[in-house]
Amino acid sequence: AAFSLYFPRKEYLENVYVDQPAGTPLLRIHALRDSHGEVTHFHLCQNLVISRARSHENHWFQIREKTGLLYLSKSLDREDFNMLSVGNWMPLSKVMLYVFLSSHPFQEKECDSATRTTVLLSLINATAPACSSLTARQLCFTEMDLSFHIKENKPPGTFHQLQLPSVHHLCQNLSISYQLLAVEGLPFRYNENTTSVSVTQRLDREERERYELIAKCTVREGFREMQVEVPFLVNVLDEDDSPPFLPNGTDTADAVVEFNRKEGTVLATLTVYDADTTPIYPLESSRRKYTGTIITDDPWISETFRVEHIFNEIHFSPNGSQVRGTQHEYKLVLNKSISVTEHRSFPLDVLVNDTEFHGPKRSVMLHFNVSILPVSIQFPNMTYQFTVNRNAERFAQIGKICIENCMKFRGVNITYKLLPPNISCYAVNILQGREDKYGSLYVNDSSVLHRPDCKEIQYTIQATDKQSRKHTKTFLTVVLEGTPFKKQEDCPDSCAVSKHRAECEECGGLGVLTGRCQWRQGSGKGITTNYSTCTPSIKTCPDGICDVIESKDMAVCPQDCTSGNIIGGHGKGTGNLGIKSGHGICYCFPRENCYCEKDDIKEQLCDDVCKTVI
Amino acid sequence: LAGPPSPPGQDPQGWRVPVDCVRANELCAGEPSCSSRYRTLRQCLAGRDRNTMLANKECQAALEVLQESPLYDCRCKRGMKKELQCLQIYWSIHLGLTEGEEFYEASPYEPVTSRLSDIFRLASIFSGMDPAANSKSNHCLDAAKACNLNDNCKRLRSGYISTCSKEVSATEHCSRRKCHKALRQFFDRVPSEYTYRLLFCSCKDQACAERRRQTIVPSCSYEDKEKPNCLDLRGTCRTDHLCRSRLADFHTNCQASFQSLTSCPGDNYQACLGSYAGLIAGFDMTPNYIDASTTSITISPWCSCKGSGNMEEECEKFLRDFTENPCLRNAIQAFGNGTDVNLSP
Repeated sequence: AAFSLYFPRKEYLENVYVDQPAGTPLLRIHALRDSHGEVTHFHLCQNLVISRARSHENHWFQIREKTGLLYLSKSLDREDFNMLSVGNWMPLSKVMLYVFLSSHPFQEKECDSATRTTVLLSLINATAPACSSLTARQLCFTEMDLSFHIKENKPPGTFHQLQLPSVHHLCQNLSISYQLLAVEGLPFRYNENTTSVSVTQRLDREERERYELIAKCTVREGFREMQVEVPFLVNVLDEDDSPPFLPNGTDTADAVVEFNRKEGTVLATLTVYDADTTPIYPLESSRRKYTGTIITDDPWISETFRVEHIFNEIHFSPNGSQVRGTQHEYKLVLNKSISVTEHRSFPLDVLVNDTEFHGPKRSVMLHFNVSILPVSIQFPNMTYQFTVNRNAERFAQIGKICIENCMKFRGVNITYKLLPPNISCYAVNILQGREDKYGSLYVNDSSVLHRPDCKEIQYTIQATDKQSRKHTKTFLTVVLEGTPFKKQEDCPDSCAVSKHRAECEECGGLGVLTGRCQWRQGSGKGITTNYSTCTPSIKTCPDGICDVIESKDMAVCPQDCTSGNIIGGHGKGTGNLGIKSGHGICYCFPRENCYCEKDDIKEQLCDDVCKTVI
Repeated sequence: LAGPPSPPGQDPQGWRVPVDCVRANELCAGEPSCSSRYRTLRQCLAGRDRNTMLANKECQAALEVLQESPLYDCRCKRGMKKELQCLQIYWSIHLGLTEGEEFYEASPYEPVTSRLSDIFRLASIFSGMDPAANSKSNHCLDAAKACNLNDNCKRLRSGYISTCSKEVSATEHCSRRKCHKALRQFFDRVPSEYTYRLLFCSCKDQACAERRRQTIVPSCSYEDKEKPNCLDLRGTCRTDHLCRSRLADFHTNCQASFQSLTSCPGDNYQACLGSYAGLIAGFDMTPNYIDASTTSITISPWCSCKGSGNMEEECEKFLRDFTENPCLRNAIQAFGNGTDVNLSP
């Protein structure tokens, strides 16, 4: 394997005081090996970073190449302190050093090896404190957590020394001893003589990824004894050492294309597990490491389908303790919309490859049984018949025209068209519904409804698939019924204008089916979707959707379509259109404002008593 | 703190007072040697990492000359005129000096010298209310009332609330970008006497805590369909100068410390709360209360450590600075209780 010595922690921390003598040890850095027999060499970059901005040449700190002991090679006097603090306007200055690691002796001034750790030294503008003034916590541990990471599958080795070299040097007449608790049965060993902690065997992250120990420190000073305990954590770092596998052995799925033929449709999903972790960032590089490729020579297949890969962290419990693993999902997706005439079946194989795993079985094959079924463009076995009241007004919605399964279609665009009728009564027309799924039949010219010669009008409806130009026809009969009555004078042309039930039900308006508006009596309290309002047809207005017919003229259903101001308590609908919920009664002046208000003015009859009072 | 920018000098506490970066840039532009080196450095930094840059003799020389210029120590002020320009200048230098992959970055903002007690004094003048009085009252409701009585606070608050609750389409229930911008205006332009009371009010019942949680309209400004990984989120934040600066400021002022009584750096609650509020406008890094609990206050950005791979430890460390930060928690509680640390000057 390539050179891979590494540090078991990313940062070290220690304090440095004014005038500490040259030779003072500061801290001990450890390295872990990739293979047996590797020799570690430590090296210090001769560049100090001051408060994470300025840099300065290092004259004071050195590291023992073999042991990793960082020490003061020259005392820092007050002048040095002042110089290192220039430009540093925070009260506490920190200098940062980089320690590098190599398996061979270092050449001059190598400062760019990838394997490095950071040492943070807090410069304290005071002489070293007396040992008696330090707390047990300060004597035993630094402020930094005792948290380490060890790579799995690597040889054992020493990775930490509990004793603080600086304190040991400074406070030689204190007895400071350490213990490592909760270590029984775990692959770690504590050496009392050196206070060093080592890992005794290769670790396997897929078995256990976190060890929580306790470091205990006892300080004895004459007859006084103080104890401090801190957590000692070891995280096991993962490498790609597990092959992909299939949950329950499932490697086959059916992928059927029928009514849903739109680009982007997910046809089927197969899952692959891996006991290794996969970081979700950077997302693209993780995707590249775990590939899913369609195996085919057929250009049509590679153009028509694609595989989408998503992955999630999941948990395994191999022996009681939980470890993280990855669930990869491979989705077979339509890369383009498929014509309604297409008809074929074939197997489609996807090769999943764990590119960073170096053992056998690094890939699995997934099988999708693809069937593309044709869909027929035809009307159900019947002719349409709608009855229209002669008092219906323009934009009254008569009904829906729909080919077989039209509501299930996605990615199929059907156009509905009315061919000229048997007699010249052009009373109704058709408009495409949303997403071109159905056609909506509405009154186009209400004056035709009054003509006695127009009674039973027969149309042919044609539905055409835009892509394949396939079309189908059926008959539509529109029967006019009822007798036209005279319109009430001074009625507004929009039902929505009426504020009271009486005036609402007396009048007609655009979109009404029987010549009269309908009153919706709200029952809710406060601001509710069930507000009271006057509408041409309770079925279609307000229903929260500004449909194609309503949007032809703002006066039909401003409750669903208004984009103007709404005054009073209300909530706006989707895309800021319409009144989703309102307070009391909502009424609108089309192309102007809408109002929602409680109708509190009860009409009181003024009786004789009332009159006399006045 | 206001006043004309002066060249670096000593303030009474003996720290160097930094000049702001916009001014430092002007000073540098007036000096031919400084301006040419600054140009060189900017070219050096364009598209290169720190190590390659330092390997180049010319770049190194430019850096050394600039160490002596006012640009080197310049800082920015929160909510200053040309704040974004100032931060751009700051990072144009500091991206080359720091690693860019550091866990904590130094704040580009000037240190906050005001204290919480200043706010309490002002707040009582504004409202005539003693925050400690009337233990039964809903402090979050009081805060909303106090805001509504001030024209500026009321205008900007209703501004962000209507922006953040405006439905755009069936798939997009609000414009997150506009909502964040409106929130940023609110926190930048309304005095903290008002904004802190809304954000950090203390609660004894769930209705109050829910109101506190709802302060920033979390359904738009905070929650999202999926929770990204926190380190991923940090990466996104660091690509933006403003977000990066606000995050660095939060880390500088709210980083829990063992060395102080309150766990806050310099025992300065005001500075921590200020950086927290500054982060709310900080795009996707926006923190909030995770629930309406009255007993425990848990703050978090909208992210999790799922999918961290080998960086899980680092991710959890990052998240803990929000969720289990004694400095932040103490500062919020101190504000709610109307207490501040008494510091002898």
